[in-house]
Formats: sequence, C-alpha cells, structure tokens
Amino acid sequence: MSRHLDRLVRLDDSHRILSREECDAIAKRVFSFAQGGGETRVKISSWWQGELRWARNRVSLAGDRRDIKVSITRGQPFSGQLGTASTNQLDGVSLESAVRAAERSRALADYNPPPPPFAPPFPPPKRPASKIWSDATYGLTTEARGEVVRGILAPAEARGMLSAGYIEVRAATFAELSSAAQAGEAAEWETPYIAWTQAQCSMAVRDPLGTGSGWAGISSFDWGKIDPEVLAARALEKCVASRNPVGLEPGRYTVVLEPQAVADIVAAIPGTIGRRSNESGIGPFALAMDDALHLWRTKLGLKVVDERVTISHDYADPGIGIVPPIDAMPDPIAWIDHGVLKAMPYDRSYALRSLNEPMGVRSATGYRMSGGETTVEEMIRMTKRGLLVTRFSNVELLDARSLLLGGLTRDGLWLIESGKITKPVKNFRFTESPLFVLNSLDELGPPMKVFHATSSGGALSPVVVPPLKARDFSFTSLVDAV
Amino acid sequence: MTVSRREFLKLGATAASVMALPRPLLVSLGGAREPIPPIDDPHLKALALRAVEAATWAGAAYADVRLTHTRSRGFQPDYTSDVESMVVGVRALVQGYWGFASGPVWSLDEMARLGHEAVHQARTNALGKTRVVDLAPRPVVADGHWVMPVKADAFDVSPFEVFDHLLGLQIYAYRTQGVRVIRNECGFKVQDKAFAASDGSYCTQRLYLGWGDFTVKLKKNGQETGGAVDLLTPAGVGWELYRDQPIREAIRELIAGLEEDLSLPVKPVDVGRYDTVLDPLSMAALLDTTIGRATELDRALGYEANAGGTSYLNVPLDMLGTYHTGAPLLTVTGNRSEPGAAATVQWDDEGVVPNHQVTLVRDGVLTDFQTTRESAGWLKDYYAKSGEPFRSHGCANADSAINAPMQHTPNLVLAPGRGAHDFDDLVAGLATGIALEEATLDVDYQALNGMVRGKFYEVKKGKRVARIANAGILFRTPELWKALTALGGAASVRRYGMGASKGEPEQATYHSVTVVPAAFKQVTLIDPLRKA
Repeated sequence: MSRHLDRLVRLDDSHRILSREECDAIAKRVFSFAQGGGETRVKISSWWQGELRWARNRVSLAGDRRDIKVSITRGQPFSGQLGTASTNQLDGVSLESAVRAAERSRALADYNPPPPPFAPPFPPPKRPASKIWSDATYGLTTEARGEVVRGILAPAEARGMLSAGYIEVRAATFAELSSAAQAGEAAEWETPYIAWTQAQCSMAVRDPLGTGSGWAGISSFDWGKIDPEVLAARALEKCVASRNPVGLEPGRYTVVLEPQAVADIVAAIPGTIGRRSNESGIGPFALAMDDALHLWRTKLGLKVVDERVTISHDYADPGIGIVPPIDAMPDPIAWIDHGVLKAMPYDRSYALRSLNEPMGVRSATGYRMSGGETTVEEMIRMTKRGLLVTRFSNVELLDARSLLLGGLTRDGLWLIESGKITKPVKNFRFTESPLFVLNSLDELGPPMKVFHATSSGGALSPVVVPPLKARDFSFTSLVDAV
Repeated sequence: MTVSRREFLKLGATAASVMALPRPLLVSLGGAREPIPPIDDPHLKALALRAVEAATWAGAAYADVRLTHTRSRGFQPDYTSDVESMVVGVRALVQGYWGFASGPVWSLDEMARLGHEAVHQARTNALGKTRVVDLAPRPVVADGHWVMPVKADAFDVSPFEVFDHLLGLQIYAYRTQGVRVIRNECGFKVQDKAFAASDGSYCTQRLYLGWGDFTVKLKKNGQETGGAVDLLTPAGVGWELYRDQPIREAIRELIAGLEEDLSLPVKPVDVGRYDTVLDPLSMAALLDTTIGRATELDRALGYEANAGGTSYLNVPLDMLGTYHTGAPLLTVTGNRSEPGAAATVQWDDEGVVPNHQVTLVRDGVLTDFQTTRESAGWLKDYYAKSGEPFRSHGCANADSAINAPMQHTPNLVLAPGRGAHDFDDLVAGLATGIALEEATLDVDYQALNGMVRGKFYEVKKGKRVARIANAGILFRTPELWKALTALGGAASVRRYGMGASKGEPEQATYHSVTVVPAAFKQVTLIDPLRKA
C-alpha cells in the first residue's frame, strides 16, 4: 500500500475558481468576437465543490468537482430581443462559436415585432456586491472532511443506528460584464466580480428496522459556523426517540415547529409576494379587482400576519447574504414589517417601463424572519396537548389565492402532553397555509439559520427563522412512512 | 503558457509534467482555433486511458473515466439558447471506497490530475472502517462505438426551420376561437460520451434527447380549461419528434377534448370510494413514482435516506420472490435498450451492455431491483439462490461526466393486459365511478403513501357526465396496486418520457415509461383543499 501512496502526485490546488482579472480577460476576448454592433453581455461563472456523501455508516462517495460557464448575450440593450449561448470552454474557437450562436439567436428574435426603442433616463446601475467568503469553507480539505465524517458516524454506529448524510463545501464566482457599459453607453446591467463560499452538512439517522428516523442539518457560507458533532447528536437522538411511533387521529393540533419546519412552509411566501402576479389577481396578496383601473388592488399597507412577524433582508448581514445579487437597491428592506405588507417585489424592467423608476424591489430569495424569546423547550413546557414537528417534506402549493400548502411531516414527530414529550407519532399529511399559521401564533423563539440545499444554479438564498408555537394546524391524513 | 484545448490532436508532442500545470481551469484561454474532434477520434482514447492509468498508478483497485461533450439547444417563441459543455470525470475505488474528480478541461495533464485526485478522495476515506465492494462481472468492451439511431439530428436542422415549425403550430392552434397558447417550446440535446475503465474497456457513444411542450388554454362561456399535447415528452429522438409526428392532429384532438370538457357540468367532490379508470399518462406518473422509485435498490437500502428518501420495499433480500407488490395482473420490467426511449444506451456508465430486460415485478410478486455493478453485489445471495446470473442491470447513469454515475431509473414497461381494451372501453365498463386524466402525483419518502391530482370526471353508465372540481386520490401504494382490476390491451400501449432526480448533489436524468390505461376498484377520492 505504501508503495502506492508514494506515487500519489497532487497539484498545488489553491486556485480552484476564476479571479477578477481572469474574468476581465475572458470578457475582453468575447467582446472582440462580436460582429455587427450592439451590446455583448457576458456572464462568467465558475465553481468548485468538495463533497462527501455517506450511507449505512460508511462513506459512499467523496468528490472534488469544478466547472466554468461563459454565457453570452448579443443584442440591443433594452430591446427585449435576446439570444444566449453558453460554453464551458475558454479557447478561441469555443468562445467565438458561442458569440456566433448568440448572434444567430438574436436574429431569430426578429421573428417577433420589435418593442419600441427605449433608453432609460437612468445611468446603468451596478448590482451590489456582497462579502460572503469564508476561508474555513474554502480551506476545508479532503482530509478534514473525512475526519469530520468519521466523527459523525462513530456515535450512530455505536448505538446500532444507520446514518446517511452529506457534506458540501463550495466556492463560486460570478461576474456580468457589458461591452456597452465598458464603452460608456447605456447598458442594462453590470455585476461586479463576486466570489463567495457555501457550506452545508445534513444527515438522516434511521434505525435498522426502519421504525424511526431523525434528521439534522444546517447550511452557512462559513463552515466555521457549522458544528457537525452537534448535528450528529441531534439526528441520532431524534432517531432513537422517534422509534415505534403511534398513530394519532388526523385533525387540528397545536404545533411547536422547529426552525427547519418553519422555513419549509414560510418559503412559500417569497415566491408569491410578487407585485405583478398579485396585481393580476393570482397571488395570496391580491385584495380585490379595481374596476376603474382594471387592476387588482393588493394588500400592500395592510396587516397580513401577526404583528410580531417581520420578514426582511439586509446586504450588510452576511448570515443571509444572497448571491448572485438580484435586481435591487442595496438598502435594507422589509417585505413584511410588524405584520404589515410593506413591499412587493418587481423587476427592473417593470420599474423602468411601467413606473418610471430606476430600480425594482428585490425578491425575498434570502430573508430573516423576526422571532421572540421563547425556546422550543419552553414552548413544549407551555403546551397542554400538541405536536412537535422536526421538518416538513414534499411541500407543494395547492391553492395560490389562499397560499394553501400540502405536504408531509418527516424525520421526527412527537406528541406533547401536559408540557412533556410523551410519545413519537406516525407522520401526517398536512393541508395548511403559512399565512394562517402566522396569524395563529402563540409563541416565537430565537431566530436561527436553517438548512438550505444548494440549488442547481448554485444560487445562495439563506434564511434565518425562529421556532414557533401555533394553534389549530391542520393535519389531514395519516402517513405511515418513516 | 498557452496550451490549446484540443491538445490531444498533437498527442506526443507535449510531455509537460503534471506538477508544472499552473491553472487547470484556464489552460485553454487564448488557445488557437481548432475543431472539436469527433467522438470516435482515436486520440480521445489516449486521453481517457491517461486518466485511468493515472488512477491505477496511484493505487486504485478499479478506476473508470467518462468524457462527455454535450450540446443542447432550446427554443421558445422569443428566446433561444445554445449550451455547449465538455467535461471529464474520473472515478476510483480504493479499499472499497469511491472517490470522484471532475472538471471542464480535456488535456492529458488534466486527465492525470483528475485520476490522482479521485484516488486521493477515495483513499482519504479508506482510513475508516472496512467497506466491501463486490462489482458484478461484465465482459470487457474492446473499442466499442455506437450512435443512437435517430432520423434527423436536430443540430443538422436550421434553427430558423425549427422556429418556423413552432410558429406554424401556434398559428394552427389559434384558428380555434378562445384558444391561448401557454407554452410552445422544445429542446434538443446530443451527447458524445467516451468511457474507459481500468479493466481495459473503452467505448464511445452518441446519445440524443428531444422534448417539447405545447400547452394551450381554452376559454369558453366564462369557463377555462387547459392541456398539453402528449406526444412531446422526452425521448431518444432527433428532430423527427416534430417532423414525423402528427402534431397538428394532436392539437386538434386536444382542443376538441377541451371543448368537450367545457360542455360537461362541474361538480364538487363527493368524498368516498370509487372504481376508477386512469388514462395512460396518469398510469405513467403512477408507475414511475411508486414502483419505479421503490425498486431502486440504493433507495431501498438507505443510500438516499438523507435526500429523496428510502423505499417501502425496505428488506430486499426477504421480500424478493415473495412480496406481493400488486394484483397478479401486474408485471413491470425495466430496460435500457428500447429503441427511441429516453434512458436507452448501448453501454451504461460502467460499460455494462444493458441488453437484457429486468423483471422487477412478475404477476404481482417483487422479483428484482434496479441495480449497478456495485449494488447488484448486495443481492448476490438472492441471485445465487434463484439461479439468476450475478450481473448489473445497467442502471449506472449521470447526466454528464461532471457528475459521478449512480443508479438511475431505466426505461420502465408495464405489461399490457390480455384483452383489447383501451381507455374508452375501460370507462365504458364503469357503471358508476371516476375517470382520471393527466394525473400528477406526490408520494412520500418511502413511495408508500401518495396523493394524486389531475382531471377528474364522474362516470355514469359508462359515460362521463361531469367534471369534478379540485379532486384528489389518496392511496397506499401496495393497496392501490392490489386493487388493480383491468389493464388496457396491447393496442392501448403508450410511452412517455419522465424526468427523475436523486442524489447529493442532486442529479437529473430521463427515462421512458411505457404503460396502458387501467382500472382500479374502490379508490379513495378526497378534496385536497379541505383542511382538517
């Protein structure tokens, strides 16, 4: 074996993503291939991931992956006629053929009647850059990841349980550059080069007979803020305590929702809070049709949830740093402020064309939800009869107007009786609206970061939410899956 | 230093040491113009073997490499996109532990780096407790080359022609008053893939995928309904997806069906138990999300517990050959060899020729699982006992070489019934009951309990008499399949392409599901919008 070890040659691998200078050089080369005038916009992204997956108490795959994407758009700024082509190769022939493909796409767009010429009376804005970088994340080596997982697996194996989970550390870069902006002309966007990190750790621990399952997970831009041993202990404890659950009658229950469960259902609000859809009468924040304006009036300015609830974002708060930054002013924003709907997102094109404003209102891809002082343990103590929920799964929107969601409880559900957890309970299917929950609040706890899987596009959209206790949560049928 | 991306074309001239390579990602920026080599270019083999040799040299007991060159082109009425991606991924096995490394650079130096990195990934975890991997044997593939047979490579068709075709369909649909085209888009993918393994296997193949979406809404007398042409789900095809299929007829039938829908009265849900007939599209979704998911062996054994979940078929070795998955009518097979299907290949991502069909359920009894070379080893005892060969069912797959291959769903086939029934016959056989079309499903993390939504119709004396607004079916998978009473005959067979994702990080792949319409007795109808 040692003979083989000696043969392992590894590169100095400290540069796994593109630098600002490299992005500028790529953009310059792309711009040089453009033919026939107009704007060339190029989005350059790169990423690296270190990954470790395990199941049945053994590592099942460890990986190191990276890729690049150069996405090119050719056309007139603000024309709405766009064609995009992308490649992950940086040589001349690949970049040039991508530019040609983008130009051909642009020509295809001529099939549609061109929109009226439009030049905004506002200078090209730059998207705000965020500082979301952690050396602890970028520097978590393969060896360190292996060591972490050995520490996670030992306690589960010692208790005779089966652990399955995943650790991922990621670094990524993004830059969006415009040939027009660089020539000092009107351009839709430039996004300055940004580099960021992401880390996540999550696991499900099951008993070998399949009667119990516990889960714990967290994500953060900073690996240093993730404590794998705490997560491992929590998942194991939940697994052991969830074995041999009893079936309860479906119905309305007082619930204590752990932060992950809160995030799983509150996530429906950001996606449905947009101004356009609600002004079309589609969303839960549409109020009534205004016959004079032929527009739906919205609930903007009205109280929509409990006054203890504020849902907000601040670029200066790296714990909820979002990347890539989206159409927005960098100012702090509260979409829901003390229960009142204060801001509804819309994009920059709507702002420029319909409202004569320079900027849209950013969407709530990352947010912080306000909380209170009551811990989960105190909420349990205050509960006469209710259910403690670890998390929800398979959540889907059933009705947009009422924001009614369907979904399942997963990985740990317990009955609370007279202030104590008395027994594990079989899972339920629920049918409930987060707006109803946020209007039926008893208690709120200290907000905390929850788990958020990396989306396929690599966007970072972290949320911080509190645990909560609410009345009359609607569980509609028994689900005997574990 | 400028190194051309296609440096392997001048193989032999470069002998740069691995250590000297400064920035793997940037190796080709500023490189000269050179054409992309065809997938069967012999130099590609040298690249692939370099990766495998590097991994073996560094200590891998087994290693394999995939190089994929993927082009995709998407069309929407006001937007088109072209995506090109060349990636390489190396997988290495050291003392029962897998390591994987992938990236976008196709150069000899990068092959060596990735081979070493994959071994490093594996070895780091081999420090832990022992893990045994018993790879199912397969014949060595010596220089195999295959091109999926399609009638018209979509990349040989002018994008302007594709655009004209889509616009033509749109104009055709708009001839009917009240029609609005919601989506009219399509996409095509061609992937060249080279595979090499440390046992000397080498093969290349070109795979195609095409899909489309033509969705309309029809508004009449203040009512609205909608639907999609069902001929365009993902398949292993080229431009013939549109060119050779009767799309206009399908649009006409779709709109006629929607008009018929709107002529039916709407009723609220009358919660209860009903005999129910499912159309082929609903059956495809049902089969895919229940038995299709539950017979993934890695899921069943807990390898997906922290992602999509496990399976109610959770004790494979006890259940195989004895567990009643459904009524005796039920036989389900899997394959990756059916011409034109979305998961069809000549070799899977481990060089296995999946030229046999696997019978997952025979006459209602669970008989096998979806496997890879590694996971087949978990069932070795069962195969020995039942006299079945110990082999992989060829389900190793990944959407590109950037992702490590894992077990993905093959093409699934539900065996048709013996009679000659089609959907309308089965509906005509209902004295009173429910007909369901275009179902979408949500099943739990063990594929055990599910809810179905879709277009529900009340049936009386064999005729649809009303639409049922906002209905759903609640089911337990084993009970539902045991309640199967009739299957459509061979003439009612339909095939649909389905997407599926699993894994961490998540990967998505496509497969086809071939089904017939079917009847079930005493299915539970609910109002999914009703709270407790």
